[in-house]
Amino acid sequence: MKVRILRQESPTSEQYWESFEYDGPQDASVAGMLDHLNYSDDIVNDAGQKTRRIAWECSCLQGACGACAMVINGMPALACDTFLKDLEGNEVVLRPLTKFPVIRDLAVDRTSIHHNLKRCDVYIGAYQPLGNQSFSHQYDAAKCLKCGLCLEICPNYTNGNSFFGAVFANDCYLVYARNRQKSRDIKKVYAHHFGNTCSKSLTCMDVCPMDIPTIASMAKLNR
Amino acid sequence: MKEVLVIGSGIAGMACAVRCAEQGAHVTLVSPYPSERSQSVMAAGGINAVTEQCEDGDSVASHIEDTLKGGCWIGGKDAVTGLCSSAKDTLAYLESIGTVFSLDQEGRPLRRAFGGQSHKRTYFCGSSTGKQIVSALVMEVRRHEAAGSIERRLRMHFHSALIESGECYGALLYDEQARGLVPVYASAVVMAVGGQNALFSKTTGSVLCDGYAAGRLFLQGALLKNLEFIQFHPTTLETDQKRILITEAVRGEGGRLFYEDDGQRVYFMEDKYGPKGNLMTRDVVSREIYATGKNVFLDISFLSDRLISQRLQEVRDLCRKYRGIDVSKQPIPVAPSVHFFMGGLAVHLNHETNIERLYAVGECASMYHGANRLGGNSLLAALYGGRVAADDLCAREDAPRHPDFARTRAREQRLLDAASESKSVFPVAYMRDMLADTMRAHMGIARTEESLTQGLVDVEYYQSVAGQINYDTSVSAYENYSLAGILATAHASLSCALAQRESRGSHWRSDAPQTLDDYAYATLVSYNDGAYNVWLDKEREYES
Repeated sequence: MKVRILRQESPTSEQYWESFEYDGPQDASVAGMLDHLNYSDDIVNDAGQKTRRIAWECSCLQGACGACAMVINGMPALACDTFLKDLEGNEVVLRPLTKFPVIRDLAVDRTSIHHNLKRCDVYIGAYQPLGNQSFSHQYDAAKCLKCGLCLEICPNYTNGNSFFGAVFANDCYLVYARNRQKSRDIKKVYAHHFGNTCSKSLTCMDVCPMDIPTIASMAKLNR
Repeated sequence: MKEVLVIGSGIAGMACAVRCAEQGAHVTLVSPYPSERSQSVMAAGGINAVTEQCEDGDSVASHIEDTLKGGCWIGGKDAVTGLCSSAKDTLAYLESIGTVFSLDQEGRPLRRAFGGQSHKRTYFCGSSTGKQIVSALVMEVRRHEAAGSIERRLRMHFHSALIESGECYGALLYDEQARGLVPVYASAVVMAVGGQNALFSKTTGSVLCDGYAAGRLFLQGALLKNLEFIQFHPTTLETDQKRILITEAVRGEGGRLFYEDDGQRVYFMEDKYGPKGNLMTRDVVSREIYATGKNVFLDISFLSDRLISQRLQEVRDLCRKYRGIDVSKQPIPVAPSVHFFMGGLAVHLNHETNIERLYAVGECASMYHGANRLGGNSLLAALYGGRVAADDLCAREDAPRHPDFARTRAREQRLLDAASESKSVFPVAYMRDMLADTMRAHMGIARTEESLTQGLVDVEYYQSVAGQINYDTSVSAYENYSLAGILATAHASLSCALAQRESRGSHWRSDAPQTLDDYAYATLVSYNDGAYNVWLDKEREYES
């Protein structure tokens, strides 16, 4: 199986494509495939040349932490959660998420997600829950991995300078549901950085690895 | 203002940082990645507490008794009493910051049974309790970030502590962006870096928890404790890259373990231990599975679809996704795997190590769990320990002015620079794989003197060559420099297991199966100029 990877040695260097021949298990995940390419032997590309090991992030390897988010055959997905047998064609094409600065190869800097939540004071503070809020949805919203997949697919999100995407909306909902004193203010912040601009393509829900129904957060906050 | 450096941003690190900030300290919270990547998010089962709504007959005294008994009586009574007595407050704190616990139809928090417990006292948030707590704590940290009392610094790795004459003044951190070592000085340093998964490679936990920090601090003079006690979780699912935990909650909800003999199901735990056999402590269940020598399965197909959806949905998802198993119709193939390290940095009741102003909390500290941890007690200990350390360090006098560590930093930087000039393609990962093979072979569920001795021979060999090999520098500097600390932790662990000629909890010596009163103490290990010295803490200096 051929694997093409968009590589970049450092944050300031040029990107380039490099191809590899993968002969490992066909039921592996993309994460398993990357491990196999990196550490089965000296790493060589499909031209037989020795090359750098492929950089990518991982932690849990079971779809619970969001570290290994990348673009796999054109779709944003978690590498540990995507299996070769489910991919179409005989080629796997990997590239880093495009909406974040590249650190190295497939590892990107997602600090902007946290920075935007911090600068808008998206925190609960004193717990004074709003009545009649679904615990089930709060539970779902709190499962957000901050992986950035929803931002990668979003047609409205570019670089996180003004529109902050679904990851922001769901945390706003948690504040709204859990501190009624902040509910009015957080709705304004939400509207400014999400609600007023979101074109409701809802692709964010298609790629969310935790299946968070962001539309439910939006329904509450748009009211 | 007191300056505190917290290294590690999982639940224990965040709990400590928030508590320090609440008491007026300024906290630098350092980690390579954001809290969402920490192993804490994988804690599935729940958190133990005895509250006003407890099961009939339950009490804090029962919780203490169960914890000490589960730990085979070497956990400290004072420490465990503190942990269990404050559990109700810990739970109330979590609710106060917005953790959403699972509720019954009347809106009361649900409880489930966990192994080794006399009563149902494990509160939970579906089957992702750890993740829900992380989300709530991240919000709290963010609140303090906004107020300026916590400063998060990402892409920073622990390198070494700044220690002189037995006192800690801060730490050297490797800054990925600057690609160099930076000193951070503080009134107190709190290690919250998790367990030692890298010793075994394929575990249920995060690959980011590697045991390096414990090993490096050990080489710098910190004592380690109880390293022979490594919890093998009895029910894990084999996948290509790791063992996936099938939470104990599955058995808490009624799941049954069996193997097949001539086409007949043998419910071996129930046969041997009665109706509650599936919920014996983890060390017992793991050993029994090991002893069957057969493929063992966990069955929940008889549970209602509604119950599985409401309380075990994540288990259903994991089994389907990673192994194509429908738990409503098929049993889950399970086997024991390394899950939790009861051992780690030796700490006093206040969570301070033998190095003054150096603290350790969470799984990297050895406290509370003795020879075997009860399910539901790790989240509790992470939260409680973080807060105990915070209260202690905030109450103490400011540290004296730090000595000049410029030469230390320059020396360590030169070593890193020299290593980074390598043109080798040999990856440090190969050495770590060899170590994992050694540890799995010699530090598994059943141990013998002969096998442990061979394990030590192997690790000593790795140590002897590790410093002489040039490694592939196309991976991160941390991955390369962490090897020596990881090997030191492995050496210390094997030394502890070899010294303990008895069986207790998770440390089972098949050549010394008896539990002996002479060994009913914590094990301590120190490093001195190449020598690994092991002794028993008979004075109970580290966990009274």
